[in-house]
Amino acid sequence: MKKEIVKRKPGKAKELLLKNVTRNNLEKKIREQSDELATRSGQLKRGADREKLGADRERVSENKILKQKKELNSRSGQLKEGADREKLAEEQIHIRTKAMESTFDGIFVIDAKQSDYPIIYANPSFLHLTGYSKNEVIGKNYFLLYGSDADLRIYEEIKQTLLQGRSFHGEMMHFKKNGEKFWSLLRITLVRDKNGIVTHYVGNKTDTTLMKQRDSEIKEQREELLHVTRVGKLAEFVSSLAHEISQPLTAILSYAQAAQRMLKDREPQLQEILQYIINDDQRASEVIRRLRYLLKKTKPAFESISINSLINDTTTLIMPDIAARDKAIKFDFITNPPSIMGDRIQLQQVLLNLISNSLEAMEGSKLSHEMLIRTSLKDNETILVQVRDTGCGIPEENMKKLFTHFFTSKPDGLGMGLSISRSIVEAHGGRLDAENNPDRGATFYFTLPIIKKDKK
Amino acid sequence: MSNNIYIVDDDESVCRALKTLLMTYGFNVTTFNSAQKFFDTVTNDQPGCLLLDIHMPGIDGWETQKKVLASGSTRPVIFISAEKKDDATARAVKVGAVGFLQKPVNGQTLVDLINTTKKN
Repeated sequence: MKKEIVKRKPGKAKELLLKNVTRNNLEKKIREQSDELATRSGQLKRGADREKLGADRERVSENKILKQKKELNSRSGQLKEGADREKLAEEQIHIRTKAMESTFDGIFVIDAKQSDYPIIYANPSFLHLTGYSKNEVIGKNYFLLYGSDADLRIYEEIKQTLLQGRSFHGEMMHFKKNGEKFWSLLRITLVRDKNGIVTHYVGNKTDTTLMKQRDSEIKEQREELLHVTRVGKLAEFVSSLAHEISQPLTAILSYAQAAQRMLKDREPQLQEILQYIINDDQRASEVIRRLRYLLKKTKPAFESISINSLINDTTTLIMPDIAARDKAIKFDFITNPPSIMGDRIQLQQVLLNLISNSLEAMEGSKLSHEMLIRTSLKDNETILVQVRDTGCGIPEENMKKLFTHFFTSKPDGLGMGLSISRSIVEAHGGRLDAENNPDRGATFYFTLPIIKKDKK
Repeated sequence: MSNNIYIVDDDESVCRALKTLLMTYGFNVTTFNSAQKFFDTVTNDQPGCLLLDIHMPGIDGWETQKKVLASGSTRPVIFISAEKKDDATARAVKVGAVGFLQKPVNGQTLVDLINTTKKN
């Protein structure tokens, strides 16, 4: 037990050793004095017989000896008491050392009296947490363990706080020896001697990475729930709105068709006007139908799809709109693209959304005439689809919010298109993102995983 | 077969518009703002096709159809509703209706469907 402590704490061992030496010396001295007294006592006795010294002198001497003996006994008792106390202290130290070594927190001690503030103790958890070995830690400056990626401001803050004689408490990003990041709650307290001089700093590091992760997971789940609720409410709202609007649209269509029939072969101008009413009525109905479709929760029907033909089919749908806006669309397709698995209608929805966004971004500018849809292989497992426009681009402040629900930069936008598109792409195992082009406009791009041949 | 058409829809304008349209095709059209009014007025021995809205206060379209069937009537029923669920047509046929049309309904499509009921 004692050996173990001595081994672990060289400073303490020296102290103990010194104490032991002193004790041994004292005991030796006492023994010597005791022996000497005995000798002297014998001499005295013999002297009394032999030399017949005066009785008074003899008494005095004997008293002196007794007194010295008593004194020696008392000193010996004190030594024994001291040894007992020391044994207790050793036990305490052992227990505390065990506690320090068994905790999950990383504990370290810095010598504040040395100019380079070396670490003089680090418990196993500290080594585990930082990834350094004992040899790499002991004798080193604590901040050297922070790694070159560490935030120097925190480093300064810790230093300043300690130099001002205050304890430090804060949560920060730490780096392990291998560069791996981890979140840690760090507390550094000061140890002062009797005179109030800071002799050591005791540090305590708790790994909070898991806690942080859980916090953010909970936050994400909460947001997801909020989103589901919002979308659910919106779907309800849209459904009732669609119903309310469908009724007058039904009436308008029927009236117009009735009037057309009544005017059969007469009033060609009125007939034409009625046809416009019918067309616009049907257009409004189509908007409602699409809105309903957007919010409908249907299980995607996955099938093997060629991305190029999907894009061709989709752009055919929107071509009249493109022509009406006097814009052009160019294609740059990969030849023989590998098939992807996907829901045709959902992916069409994504493409339509991206194309119509691009068209809107190019609206009203003569410089913005052309958009480009490109398909390529991102890697062996992924197809990349880019929709590149020459429009007004995306203001930097909108970049982050682009895919959040209900965010829209359009005065009449719902803020659902891109967020739904991203959900669809993600449900297909891909990713939808956007960036501004270096020259003009923006590019929206998404990835889709290629069907693996062995799985086919 | 009868030229009679009965329309049950809680929206007055829809009733009037459909009536106007169907009259141009030569049908005799009577409209009702609720299923109850229809049952109160039209008896089973009065022939004619029934155009039924689904979402209505009181007795809804599905319920109305059930009642029609329960009464032993063979009256052809066509559902016309704003909200079209994927299985609406199948469900309509299953409960004995002739078909399901989504609002806004195209005049000719509706007339074609009505005419098929007359042939049967």
